[in-house]
Amino acid sequence: MTRRRMFLRMITASLLRRRSRMLIALLSIGIGATILAGLVTIYYDVPRQMGAQLRSYGANMILLPEGEEKLDTERLEQALAQIPAEELVGATPYRYVRLDMTSRQQSFTSAGTDFEQVQKTSPYFSVEGRYPESTREVLVGKEIAETIGVRVGSTMELTYQPAAAFASGSAAEDRVPGATLSGSAEGWSGGVVYVTAALDGDARIAQITIDASTQTEEYGGRADEDEAFAAQFIGKSLPLTLGTDVDALSGATVTSAAVVEALNTARAEAAPVQPRTLNFNVVGILVTGGEEEGYVFMSTEDLVSLTGENKLDVAELSVLANADQLEAYAAAITGAEIGVTPRLVKRVTRSEASVLEKLTALVFLVTAVVLLLTMICVSTTMMAVVSERRREIGLRKALGASDNSIRAEFLGEGMFLGALGGVMGAVLGFVFAQVVSVNVFGSSITFQPLLLPITVIVSMIIAALSCLLPIKRAVAIDPALVLKGE
Amino acid sequence: MSLLELKNVSKIYGELKALDNVNIHVDQGEWVAIMGPSGSGKSTMMNIIGCMDKPTKGEVLLDGVDISKESSKHLTDIRRDKIGLVFQQFHMVNYLTAVENVMVSQYYHSLPDEKEALEALGRVGLRERARHLPSQLSGGEQQRVCVARALINHPELILADEPTGNLDEANENIVLDLFAQLHKEGTTLIVVTHDPEVAEAAQRTIVLEHGRVAREVINENFGK
Repeated sequence: MTRRRMFLRMITASLLRRRSRMLIALLSIGIGATILAGLVTIYYDVPRQMGAQLRSYGANMILLPEGEEKLDTERLEQALAQIPAEELVGATPYRYVRLDMTSRQQSFTSAGTDFEQVQKTSPYFSVEGRYPESTREVLVGKEIAETIGVRVGSTMELTYQPAAAFASGSAAEDRVPGATLSGSAEGWSGGVVYVTAALDGDARIAQITIDASTQTEEYGGRADEDEAFAAQFIGKSLPLTLGTDVDALSGATVTSAAVVEALNTARAEAAPVQPRTLNFNVVGILVTGGEEEGYVFMSTEDLVSLTGENKLDVAELSVLANADQLEAYAAAITGAEIGVTPRLVKRVTRSEASVLEKLTALVFLVTAVVLLLTMICVSTTMMAVVSERRREIGLRKALGASDNSIRAEFLGEGMFLGALGGVMGAVLGFVFAQVVSVNVFGSSITFQPLLLPITVIVSMIIAALSCLLPIKRAVAIDPALVLKGE
Repeated sequence: MSLLELKNVSKIYGELKALDNVNIHVDQGEWVAIMGPSGSGKSTMMNIIGCMDKPTKGEVLLDGVDISKESSKHLTDIRRDKIGLVFQQFHMVNYLTAVENVMVSQYYHSLPDEKEALEALGRVGLRERARHLPSQLSGGEQQRVCVARALINHPELILADEPTGNLDEANENIVLDLFAQLHKEGTTLIVVTHDPEVAEAAQRTIVLEHGRVAREVINENFGK
């Protein structure tokens, strides 16, 4: 038989045949290891768990159009492709448009969105009634609901005033650049003058092009070259009066009058864009305590029906990721060059980071305290074991055991207990973590395979450290005590 | 040829002279009893011979080597290699079986050998009880296991401290018979006792009184 086998035989005999005492040591190591393993599991899982929890604070990334041009569904899809699907909790598109409620002579900012996604990115939204589920249903912000006195079950007639190229007094919010007018009028001696004007959202002339090639070259013919003449039109609303709003080109009054006439005729003849009106059922009142209470929410489809254009102003994203990962995804979206600018909601990402930091610090602290307590407990037990076995230790020394043999035997027992307690702790700890996770976070956790070796090794180290003082005592025992016939 | 020789050995604890200028020698193969009342210095002498203590003064020659100045680590080595111990209280490791207890001695000495350990138990008549724990053995049986343990490494000297102090007469005789057998095989035996009957079994008795050798008695009836 080898010495090692005898060593193991002695240790196992000591542990197995002196069960009660060793069970206490094993139990303390086991409990320590359980809490260690449990907390480590939670520690590993907390970011994921808390990440999911913190998603209820709302979106942590916002996608905006890069330039003047609005976002569309296609570019949104391209941007979302940069984020792993399993980490994307929700992506809510928003299109903001001013709508009028003619019956009350009120107008509100209305948002077209996807309510299914809203519930994912803004879980803190509280709705009296329910979210719209089909078209022609709206969710009305509490503030608006109070102002105009609508309740769940009311109906609202909402009107979209299109960029209202010619409607005076149109609201600045409805600005749609790019409306153009073209017209013509007879000028000097039957020659036709052509005019094209681009209007801005306030129906003011932004740009003007004059074709006066039919006019006498040295008089009216200058109308399409004279910059000072053209400049008079910029920023003016139609109709115009020659002499009041714009001055005639000197020596070319007839041509100048033709330009003004062409514009006025075009304005008068242009088919006025019809405002579109839809009836909606109010199915819910939105209570958030924030600015959302001043909006009317409807499905994107309804808003497209009203405005006739399928564009987006912004998309709010809720992503399961920490600040660093978010930065990486944002960089990927920017790098994809699809005209989408991602922005992180710093308020949310920062508070997530600080909560996680505090939680991990707490877990670390509790683990340290538990390990310290375990060490004290094991040390005390081993101390008791040493005094209980004084006689035996004396005998072993009398039989020729060196100090190192005694150390090895006690350390061996301690580490054996540590290993056993560690395995026990890893298993029970996982169960403990699972229970905590299910009760606190409401979701189960996955077993970390690395947990087993970590717990066992840490338990063995703790057990070994706990044995140091007891071993010092054991080594100091005088072998002569076995001779004194006590 | 002397195996053990104490020359002018004194052990002083403060004012108390536990041993006072003691001179004894024990020959190879001799069976010697050390007697004396309590406080006569028996235990102190036993500790010194057993390499568990060092004298204050004097020389202790074991197998020609002076062990009086050795470090305690070295003394452990010497004890392990040369001395087999038998105690009054038997002292078995209570969670190991009889054969395992014998093997512990082998383990510290060299290599555990279960077969040899079982043979040693056979010599003391306990081959059948080898797998029993100390709590399942009688006092006499435990002491016989201890004798087996003391002789397993073939020590030069067996040092027994009141080996029959806790035994009834029948078991005392069994143990003394074992000693006689060991003696015949040439093992040197030193038995510390205050039991005259045990002392009479030896070839020679050294009587200690007040830390000094009071007298030495040769047992003329030895072997008869």
